[in-house]
Amino acid sequence: MLYSMNDFMAIIPEIILAVFAIAILLIDLWLPKKLKGFNGILALLGVATSLASVIMTYGTNQSAFNNMFVMDASGSFASIIILLTTFVVIVMSFDFLKREDINVGEYYEILLFSVIAMQVLASTYNLITMFIAVETLSLGMYVLTGFLRDKDESVEGAMKYYILGSFASSFLVLGIGLMYGLFGSVDLNVIKSGLMQADSFHIWISIFAFLMIFVGFGFKVAAFPFHSWTPDVYAAAPTPISAFMSIAPKVASFLALMRFLVVGLGPIEIEWTKVLWVVAVLTMTFGNTVALWQKDLKRLLGYSSIAHAGYMLVGITAANALGYGAVMFYLFGYLFMNLGAFAVIEFISSKGDRNTEISHLKGFGYKYPILGAAMLIFMFSLAGVPPTAGFIGKYYLFSAAVKSQLYYLALIGVVNSAISAYFYLNIVVTMYMKGESEESINVLNSFPLKAVVIFGAIGVLYVGILPNSFLNIALHSIGF
Amino acid sequence: MNQLHFPILSLITYIPLVGAILVSLMSENNKKMIRFVTFSVLVIDFIVSLPLFFYFDPSTYHMQFVERVPWIKSMGFQYYIGIDGISLFLVLLTTFLTPIAQLSTWSAIDKKVKMFNIVILLLQTGMLGVFISLDIFLFYVFWEIQLIPMYLMIGIWGGPNRVFATMKFFLYTFAGSVLMMIAIMALYFLNHHFTGVYTTDMVQLMKTPLPLHLQMWMFIAFLLAFAIKVPMWPFHTWLPWAHVEAPTAGSVILAGVLLKMGTYGFLRFNLPMFPQMTHEFASFVVALSIIGIFYGAFVAMVQPDIKKLVAYSSVSHLGYSMLGMFALTQTGMEGSILQMINHGVSTGALFLTVGIIYERRHTRLISEYGGLASLIPVFATFFMIFTLSSIAVPGTNGFVGEFMILLGAFESNHIYGIIVAFGGLFSAVYMLTMYKRVVFLKVTKPKNLGLKDMNKREWAYMVPLLIFVFWIGIYPNTFLSKMRVSVEHLLNQVNRTTVNVNTQESRLQPITTVVVKKG
Repeated sequence: MLYSMNDFMAIIPEIILAVFAIAILLIDLWLPKKLKGFNGILALLGVATSLASVIMTYGTNQSAFNNMFVMDASGSFASIIILLTTFVVIVMSFDFLKREDINVGEYYEILLFSVIAMQVLASTYNLITMFIAVETLSLGMYVLTGFLRDKDESVEGAMKYYILGSFASSFLVLGIGLMYGLFGSVDLNVIKSGLMQADSFHIWISIFAFLMIFVGFGFKVAAFPFHSWTPDVYAAAPTPISAFMSIAPKVASFLALMRFLVVGLGPIEIEWTKVLWVVAVLTMTFGNTVALWQKDLKRLLGYSSIAHAGYMLVGITAANALGYGAVMFYLFGYLFMNLGAFAVIEFISSKGDRNTEISHLKGFGYKYPILGAAMLIFMFSLAGVPPTAGFIGKYYLFSAAVKSQLYYLALIGVVNSAISAYFYLNIVVTMYMKGESEESINVLNSFPLKAVVIFGAIGVLYVGILPNSFLNIALHSIGF
Repeated sequence: MNQLHFPILSLITYIPLVGAILVSLMSENNKKMIRFVTFSVLVIDFIVSLPLFFYFDPSTYHMQFVERVPWIKSMGFQYYIGIDGISLFLVLLTTFLTPIAQLSTWSAIDKKVKMFNIVILLLQTGMLGVFISLDIFLFYVFWEIQLIPMYLMIGIWGGPNRVFATMKFFLYTFAGSVLMMIAIMALYFLNHHFTGVYTTDMVQLMKTPLPLHLQMWMFIAFLLAFAIKVPMWPFHTWLPWAHVEAPTAGSVILAGVLLKMGTYGFLRFNLPMFPQMTHEFASFVVALSIIGIFYGAFVAMVQPDIKKLVAYSSVSHLGYSMLGMFALTQTGMEGSILQMINHGVSTGALFLTVGIIYERRHTRLISEYGGLASLIPVFATFFMIFTLSSIAVPGTNGFVGEFMILLGAFESNHIYGIIVAFGGLFSAVYMLTMYKRVVFLKVTKPKNLGLKDMNKREWAYMVPLLIFVFWIGIYPNTFLSKMRVSVEHLLNQVNRTTVNVNTQESRLQPITTVVVKKG
């Protein structure tokens, strides 16, 4: 069947990014070493243009390529979060790449290609499209994790990520195959109508298929017990990439997971909420408990991101529109706090992306009062203390659970929140209460990086105090 | 909008915030200027808060000086603030006590002066926000916000064990309040279930009758959050740590204002929102309060550290306040509110006196002192008056509060009254023993010989406290008359008898409202 112009109109944001990515690849060949910074500018431009096109077409609902791709508000909102993250991450990368001497065009090009995959993952009801998108974005992530190729840990982390990731993907494809076998389609709407008339045998097999597919997504969002890669990879990857991984792929994966569960598996909601209940509880408890013993900031944020994935799973487990909207809103707020926190880590890191232990923050609040205050805001936001984005987000996630009368789940969630306050505040303690540091730390003193930190802090406070408009967008974006 | 046609409460709340921004722009080295500007901001804040007292209409229980703006529309949260006869004095106590506490730090805090003053200003905003919020979500936001500056204050300017103390303080309170968060959410959805409206308006929520089994869980969640904050026995263990490690100003604010948030929370949430459970749990809470009164007193007796002694006496004094409240009589409740103010004034003053000698000798051990009466007589006099006020000697503020609580206890149950009457005895024992060992006896430590008496600045912040000790002690009606109608209304709410009888799953059952007569 031929595709019409309308089909291509729906993927304009993706096309723009692809054009820029290819342009970077080509232009990079002619750029002298001194002018490599131009690649970054070009990438920024691409992301900004794509973002503009997403915002301009926001709110249009369209299905393209024989329902392989949809354009809807939730997908667009996810795209906005992903592109915003990418923009900030590129800004964070400028001076980092220069210092690590890996300022090459491929970095941005791979980044942009994986962003395209994320956008696609966020806008489809088709399992095959999802699978391809997951694979494409993972491929980019594997390469970027190992981008510090002179550093053993980085290469090792990439290898570990790749092997475990392929393993998870095979589960994903097996589940998709089973679904196709059962219902003769990979389209979630068809699967849904098939499930509604299915006999108990079909339902049992489809639960099995659901578990397989959930392994794949659980790996991407770092849910227990598929989380084990997260801290290692976060610690191994270049810091801007760790920051990127903690948000962008999760946005896409969470939205795809929600589409799969709510639309595709809507008829067996009672079954999958049980599974998610258990996974959510284990994920947040594991992440928060293990984080208590972490010494390295990047590993700590790795465990913290596992815990936050658990909180978001609470929103999905609630299985109501408030919960789905809350997940999107939470991710939006998480963008500011996590990017800001990673930017501070990048700031204190020294060449080779080393020295990111918590102890290096000693006296940080006095040496850099503004950055210290910003880090304090990020930590309180991650712990879920008002008036920050983290608090409002968590409030909605848990109130969705309360709305569905999952009181125990909400209770476990807030107890986790209290546990997590310990290690986040421990960072504040190191910054402010252990006295001033005698050793001079060799920081990455770059203006764009400081700008990112301040951008994050302002964002966290703004979303925390005046969340009205963002909340409306997030809650109304959910169309399923 | 309100009787002043002017957003006075917002002004009072955000003047310190503006002050904090102002101070943050100043140079760290200009310590005198920073202290002076902060103090001026706090004094201006106090002056601006005075019209609340003069324009307050004591003839109505309705909320006054109300401001109401939609905040998060999709959920029905509002920026809704106002005060009644109960919160009026807590707001005034806050604006009164903070400048005094700040004045005491002019010489005590010499490191990171700029940050300290920013923290104290932010703390002021947070504390005021708690007392004026009439939207339960807004209340929760302020309730947690004020934790951050206090956490920093103890952690940065505190004593040797400050990190442990401040972590314990934060985590304890935070754990209690997240449970309250769940209860707030549940309340929100249940209110929608029963009335069809999504709102977090406290005044509305108080009118919604709730089924008993749900009331119980929510009552317990709120009880935990507030009992930790008060703190009631057995949730008090964070308090001695926080008090001992905190700088003097921190202790003053902690004792004077922060602990009142707990008692205020009971008055604002537990009593009017869960009336049946209030009756059910009254004897339980009274029992905890009585244990607190005696436990605090007994532990205080053996403390070698003056500050720790005063901290434990707080546990005892707030036990009185809780007892008066849960006696559920007009006199008891008025006494309870008066006791909150008294405790703020007297205990705040005691912490300040401890601060004064600590600054000179850098020790708080009782055994390091002795014979101060002959060395620094002015100090000894002030110390004596506040000690007597803490013991509740007639003529001082403490007496009025405790006597009213005692009356209230007798009205509600003779046994409570008899038990509590003995509590007063013990407070005399530990306070007077401490006073004797510090101020009388012979001078044994030669280091004390060089002590200087109180300077002008110290006079300046002690005298206002002294005035209130006697004002409340001699003519409490100034204060009681303003709170009477609000307290009456609160008791009516507690004694109302409408319940939603709804046996099991509230999601599936139709709404039935019936009237149940309670004995």
